[in-house]
Amino acid sequence: MISFKGINPLAAYKALLIGAFGSTYTFSETIVAATPLILIATGLVLVFNMKFWNIGAYGQYIMGAIFSSYFALNVSPSVSPWILLPVMCVASIIGGAIWALIPAFMKLVWEVNEVISTLLLNYIALYILKYLMYGPWRNPTSHGFPLSKMFAANAQLPRIWPHTRVHLGIVFAIIIVFLMYFIIKKTRFGYETRVIGENSTAARYAGISIFRNTMLAMAISGGIAGLAGMAQVSGVIHLLQLEINPNYGYTAIIVAWLASLNPIAVLLVSILLGGIEAGGSQIQMMMHVPYGIVGVIESSILFALLGGEIFKTFRVKFRRRG
Amino acid sequence: MDDIVVSLKNITKRFPGIVANDRVNFELRRGEVHTLLGENGAGKSTLMNILDGIYQPDEGEIYINGKLVEIKNPSDAMRLGIGMIHQHFMLVETLTVLENVILGLAEQGLYINKKEISKRIEEVSDRYNLCINPSTKIWQLSVGEQQRVEIIKTLFRGAQILILDEPTAVLTPQEVEVSFEIYKQMIEEGKSIIFISHKLNEVMDISDRITVLRKGKYIGTVDTDKITEKELATMMVGREVLFRLERKPHERKDKVLQVSNLKALDDKGLLALNGLNLEVFSGEIYGLAGVAGNGQKILSEAIAGLRKVIDGKITIAGKDLTNASASEIFAHGVSYIPPDRLKMGLVPNLSSVDNAILRRYYKPPIYNRHLINYSEAERYAKKLIEEYDIMVPREDAPVKLLSGGNMQKLLLAREISEQPKLLIAVHPTRGLDVGATEFVRRELLKQRDNGVAVLLISEDLDEIFMISDRIGVIYEGQILDTFDIKEAKIEKVGLLMAGMKSEREFSEQVCSTV
Repeated sequence: MISFKGINPLAAYKALLIGAFGSTYTFSETIVAATPLILIATGLVLVFNMKFWNIGAYGQYIMGAIFSSYFALNVSPSVSPWILLPVMCVASIIGGAIWALIPAFMKLVWEVNEVISTLLLNYIALYILKYLMYGPWRNPTSHGFPLSKMFAANAQLPRIWPHTRVHLGIVFAIIIVFLMYFIIKKTRFGYETRVIGENSTAARYAGISIFRNTMLAMAISGGIAGLAGMAQVSGVIHLLQLEINPNYGYTAIIVAWLASLNPIAVLLVSILLGGIEAGGSQIQMMMHVPYGIVGVIESSILFALLGGEIFKTFRVKFRRRG
Repeated sequence: MDDIVVSLKNITKRFPGIVANDRVNFELRRGEVHTLLGENGAGKSTLMNILDGIYQPDEGEIYINGKLVEIKNPSDAMRLGIGMIHQHFMLVETLTVLENVILGLAEQGLYINKKEISKRIEEVSDRYNLCINPSTKIWQLSVGEQQRVEIIKTLFRGAQILILDEPTAVLTPQEVEVSFEIYKQMIEEGKSIIFISHKLNEVMDISDRITVLRKGKYIGTVDTDKITEKELATMMVGREVLFRLERKPHERKDKVLQVSNLKALDDKGLLALNGLNLEVFSGEIYGLAGVAGNGQKILSEAIAGLRKVIDGKITIAGKDLTNASASEIFAHGVSYIPPDRLKMGLVPNLSSVDNAILRRYYKPPIYNRHLINYSEAERYAKKLIEEYDIMVPREDAPVKLLSGGNMQKLLLAREISEQPKLLIAVHPTRGLDVGATEFVRRELLKQRDNGVAVLLISEDLDEIFMISDRIGVIYEGQILDTFDIKEAKIEKVGLLMAGMKSEREFSEQVCSTV
C-alpha cells in the first residue's frame, strides 16, 4: 500500500523504526505513547480473560480524562499537588469505572450484548467531550479551538525524564502490570474470573458469583482505562482537548491480543505498538506517507495474529486432490 | 460372491494423535443384520462415517456390490443406496413428517406433489407397521417415533443398505422390540442393515453376524449363534468382564433427601417437574430410571441449587433448602456429578490442578491469607490423581486432553473427597469404556457403604438394576412408582418409562398417532 504512493516501503519502515527507537527523543516519545496502551491493555486482559468483550476502553478513557479534568480546572492552583493529583486519579478511575459498569450491568441483568453497548457508550463519551470542549469548558482565549484552559502546575503529573514528555504515568503503568499479573495468578478473584471465562456453567455449578465478579472486573478494567485518560491529559497534554488520542482504547485491544492476554507481555507489546504510533508521525513528516498507515500496519499485525491462531488450533494439511 | 453388498478392505483412518481405524475389514451380505460392536472410541462410528462418505479413508478400499467405489460425500453414498441414521436426528422439529421427508429427497423439481408423497409415506408406514402420520409435527412425536421418521426418510431416498448408529440408546425396552420388528421386516424385503451398538443382549438378539472392533483394530467376525454373550464381551474389552458387582446388604438409615410436590420449569419455560415426590436415605443408592427428557436433568439441577423451583419443597438432612444457592447447598453436603462433564462439571481449558480445587479453592489450606496457595493446590491435585489412579499427561495440562474416563474419574474424585451426605450422579458412566464404567460403579457402591445417600440418574437400565437398592421411574416430571430392587422387574420398569401401567396399554399406544 505504501508502494502505491510511489515510496519504497522498506525505506518507510526504516523511517518508522528510526522514528520509534532511533534517538533518545524518539524513544521517549515511544514510551509516552506506550504508557496509556500499557494501562488500558492491562485492564482489558482481565475482562478478556473472562470472555467479556469490552471494546469500550475508548469511552472509559475519555470519561477518566473528563472526570479528572473537572478537578484540574476547578480546584485552586494553590492546593498542594500531593492532594490534587491523587484526587484526580481517583476521579478518573471512578469515571472510567462508571462507564464500564453500565454495559456490565446491562449484560448481566438484561443480557444486552456488551460489544454493542460498550461501542455505543464510546460515542456518548465522545459527544460529552465535544459538548464540554465547544461549550462550558472551552478556554475563552482559544480562538474557538476546542481546548480547555491549561492545567495549573499542581494538576500536572511530574515529568520523570528531563527534556522529554515521559511522565509519572509510566511508573503507574508498570506497577499496575505486575499487580494485575499477581491478581490473575494468585488471588481468589483471579481464579474465579478464569473459571467464569472458560466455562461459566461450571462457575455457576461451583457457586461462583458471575454478577459480582463481572462487575468488579469491569470496574477495574474501566477504572484503569480512566486512569490512562487522566495520565494523558495531566501528564502529556496539560489540558483537556478534543484530540486526546482516544484511539488508544482500540489499539490497546490489539495489544492485549498480541500479548495473548498476559499482563507482562502487554508491557513489551505496548512499547512495540507505541513505537509504531510514535514512528508513524515521523514517516508522515519524512516520507509524506499519511499517518493512517499506522492503523493499517496495526490491523495487519492483528490479522496475522488471528490467522496464526488457526494454524495453532488446527493442523492444515495440503495435498493434491486424488 | 454376488450376495456381498458391502466390502471394506484394510480401511485405515488417522486423526491427529490417534489411528481411529487400523486396517479394518468389514463385509455385509444381502439380507443380514450385521452388528458392529465395540466400546466407545473403538472406531465404529468412524468406519461407518467412511462408508457414508463423511470421512475419506487414508488407506483401503470400498466395494459396493462387488465394484470398487470412492465415496466422497453422503450424496455419493445415497446414490449407491447407503443411508445412515445418526444418533442425533436430523429433523426440523417445527415441520411435519411430510415436510421433513420432502426436505430429505434427493431430487426435487419445482413442483412438489405433496399429496402423492403423503400417500407414499402412508404406504411405507403401513408396510413396515411404522404408525407414522405424515401430517404430524415432529415435536409431537416421541423419540422412538422420530427415529421411525428418520427411517422413512432414508427409505425414500432408495436406501438398500441402512446404517443404524446406536439406535436403541434412546429407546425404552418396549420401543426397542418394536424397532427390531421393523428391522426384520426390512430384511425380509432384501435390505441389509448395519447395526452399531455396545449393548450385548440386543446385539445377540437382532444380528446374524457380529464384527468386533477394539481400539481401532479389527478383532474378528463371528456368527451370532456360535458365540456366547460372555465370549463376545471378552472380545470387545480384551479381558474378562464382571457382569455382577459385589454388594453388601444395604442398611438404610436416616432420610437425607426429601423432595415433596416439586414443580419446576425447563429452559423453554414448560413445566418439567410436575409435583414430584422423592426420598433418598443414607446408605442406599436410589436409581432413577426414565427416558431422556422426562425431567431428570431438571430435578438434579433443582436439588443442586442450579434451577429455581416454582413450587414444592427440598429438604436436605432435615434442613429446608428450597431455592437455596448452589454454594449453600454444597455447603450442606451435596455433591453433584452433572450429566455433561465438559459443560458443567469441569473447565476443559484449565489444568487438572485448577479443576481439582474447584470445590475448595476458598477453604484453607489451599486458600491462605487471602491468596490461593498453588503449591498446596498442586499437592491436593496430585493426591487425587494418585488415589484414584487418574492418567494425566501433566498436572498443569488442560483437562480437555484427558480421556473421557479420566475426566470422569477426576470429577468423581473431587466430588467424593468433599465427603458429601448426598451424592447426585447423573449419567455417571455415559460415554465411558468398560473399565472406567466399572470403576465409577464401584466408587458409587463404596460411597453407599460409607453411609452416603446416592441419587443415581441414568438412562442405562442395566446400570440402574446392577447397583441400585431402590428404583424409581420418572415420567413427565413425576415419579410413577418406586420398587425395592428385590421386587423390581425390568419389563415393568420399561413400561413405566413409556408412561404405561400395563403391556396392553403399550400395544394400543404404538399406533395411536395414526
